Amino acid sequence: MIFIAILIGCILGALIGMNAPMISYTYSSYLAISIIAALDSVFGGITSVIKKNFDLKIFVTGFFGNAILAILLTILGQKLNVDIYLAAIVVFVGRMFVNLAIIRRYYVDKWLNKIGKKNTDIKEENEN
Amino acid sequence: MKKSIKKGKITVIITMIIVCFALTLVMSMQFKIVNQTDITSIENMREAELRTELANWKSKYEETDQKYEETIKKIEEYNTTSQSNEETEKLVNEELEQVNLSLGKIDVQGQGIEVTLRETDSEEIARINGDDLLVIVNALKLSGAEAISINDERIINMSDIVDINETFVKVNGKRILAPYVIKAIGNSSHLETALIGNGGHVDEMKKIGQDVSIDKLNMVKILKYNEDIKLKYAQ
Repeated sequence: MIFIAILIGCILGALIGMNAPMISYTYSSYLAISIIAALDSVFGGITSVIKKNFDLKIFVTGFFGNAILAILLTILGQKLNVDIYLAAIVVFVGRMFVNLAIIRRYYVDKWLNKIGKKNTDIKEENEN
Repeated sequence: MKKSIKKGKITVIITMIIVCFALTLVMSMQFKIVNQTDITSIENMREAELRTELANWKSKYEETDQKYEETIKKIEEYNTTSQSNEETEKLVNEELEQVNLSLGKIDVQGQGIEVTLRETDSEEIARINGDDLLVIVNALKLSGAEAISINDERIINMSDIVDINETFVKVNGKRILAPYVIKAIGNSSHLETALIGNGGHVDEMKKIGQDVSIDKLNMVKILKYNEDIKLKYAQ
């Protein structure tokens, strides 16, 4: 069910985004950093689902809050002539890699367990 | 219990749809923008890029400026050489004029004398012939005449004065008739003295009764030699 919802949302977003009007190039830099923040919170959400402590409120607030915070930091950085957005990128992508690692470990373990279980089942059958 | 679970699930689904929609929307917009903007145009550049672009343009401008200065210098050089060419041209032209003048190919005027020799009807007095003209012209040349003409035929170095059948005189190959007007430009007094003074030819002619008169004038106009001077043998 959830997967279908996710899929529908993605397709809708892609379609409308392709035909959206053009924004000027300077605003596109803010959009970019907000995308990275959003992606990071998505992966965090997936990790929490795996660990079975998924909380919708935290996920949603994290999603939009991180995006807005990232945009604000970029603007501040431009005003101060300091590239603050670089630090935001480092942190978000770092966290993305950490979450990805957790997801990967979980699924690899699951798959190995599955294979292991199959072998032991076959063994038991043979013994029997 | 089931209702609350279902309600929870519905909210989850709706939130997931909204979240995914927002994410993909923003992503595709960003892709489109980056694809379609020309990153190298100045209006779309950020500060660091502007800086490098400005430095590029500055060095280009300086190069072009230098080339421009060199070209201007070259143009000035050409101008001055063409000016000096004009000057040499002027000099050469002046020289040409001088040469033509002394050759007899230009009209001249200046102080001098006019000698008029008229035929008399009397049969006793000898006719004026070419020899008379020759002697007079020689005497004028001796006394410093700078230009001589007989009946407006300019006498140049190769001019000939001949008698034809003792009937008429040919100068420069052209037949001329009395009265013979010999014009000469030079110092009027010297020229006159050469002809009138003791033993001067005009004096002799007058003695035998021929009609000769000399006019000293301040402005004598002598026309140019009209034919072409062709040298076939002299090289």
